[in-house]
Amino acid sequence: MNRVHFAVTVISKDRPGIVADTAEVLFRLGCNVEDSSCTMLGGDFAMILTISHLKPFVKSRLVEEFKRLHDEKGLVAHVRSLADDELNRPAPVGELCLVSVYGADRPGIVYRVTRELADRLITISDLNTRLIGTEEEPVYVMMLEAYLPDGSTIDDLEQLLAGLREELHVEIGVRVITPVAL
Amino acid sequence: MSIRPILRYPHPLLKKICRPVERIDSEILTLIADLIDTMREGPGSVGVAASQVGVTLRLCVVDVSQSKLGKECNHGLLVLINPEVLSSEGAATMREGCMSVPDYTGDVERPTKILLRYTDEKDTLRHVTAEGFEAVAIQHEMDHLDGLLFLDRISSLKSGLFRRKSYR
Repeated sequence: MNRVHFAVTVISKDRPGIVADTAEVLFRLGCNVEDSSCTMLGGDFAMILTISHLKPFVKSRLVEEFKRLHDEKGLVAHVRSLADDELNRPAPVGELCLVSVYGADRPGIVYRVTRELADRLITISDLNTRLIGTEEEPVYVMMLEAYLPDGSTIDDLEQLLAGLREELHVEIGVRVITPVAL
Repeated sequence: MSIRPILRYPHPLLKKICRPVERIDSEILTLIADLIDTMREGPGSVGVAASQVGVTLRLCVVDVSQSKLGKECNHGLLVLINPEVLSSEGAATMREGCMSVPDYTGDVERPTKILLRYTDEKDTLRHVTAEGFEAVAIQHEMDHLDGLLFLDRISSLKSGLFRRKSYR
């Protein structure tokens, strides 16, 4: 493999230009942005990227440039080198499901749900949470997509989560997403 | 009959508006047979448009009868020449992928029921009401005839690979 890969996270108080500032650094260094996911979290803007550069290229060049970006513009970045076996997303084997959870906010919603999934080797591929409602009555919403292990069904997942409905006093919906090749 | 290679974006022909089929001659019949073979060969594929094999004519084939989502409600193999949607109703979102845009899927909202007019391979004008997954598949293939990919219609992207196991 003639390219070296890194995972980069950037977070900053939100303002126009965070993506452009980050992308400019990467462009100037000759890095390719491969996958990325960027979103507002509260009043911050967060970016997660995997990037690559032709070898030879050392991580310290990225770190230096992001340090300058921190000093000049306040962005906080972290860079991690990626091993070859971290580059490719493994092909899913089981059913893909969407799980939605919402209810009056209380401690442990994310923890209890994701622990149940992890203990059954269910792989989360996407997860978002948002605190909505009012200050007096905060409501917690979590949406996640997960791959069931081969042989496990949506009914198994329903059953697994049914107990949590009672325990956490939340609504939990589960549905199958069937990606279709057309 | 043969399997033709599927063009992948950014091949420019995938963004061309296709021209109507004027005469169903032996060349068109060969193309139809090849499209059917190519569809059957694709992993879990339920449709192919002529432009996906580089022929920019308004012609596509769809068959959802062997798929998990379509087996309850379908018209079997449909050869759609110069198809037109006369009316549509409902809306549902489905996570679509496309052989011309591999390794990517996105949520696309489309009508759930369509009234379709098309000419079949025997040069007969036909009307069909398609619903559910069959309607989605037909609309996806018909988009190719206008140079549209599901990427032109998505509301959100999911970097989903398809399951190794076929979901037919």
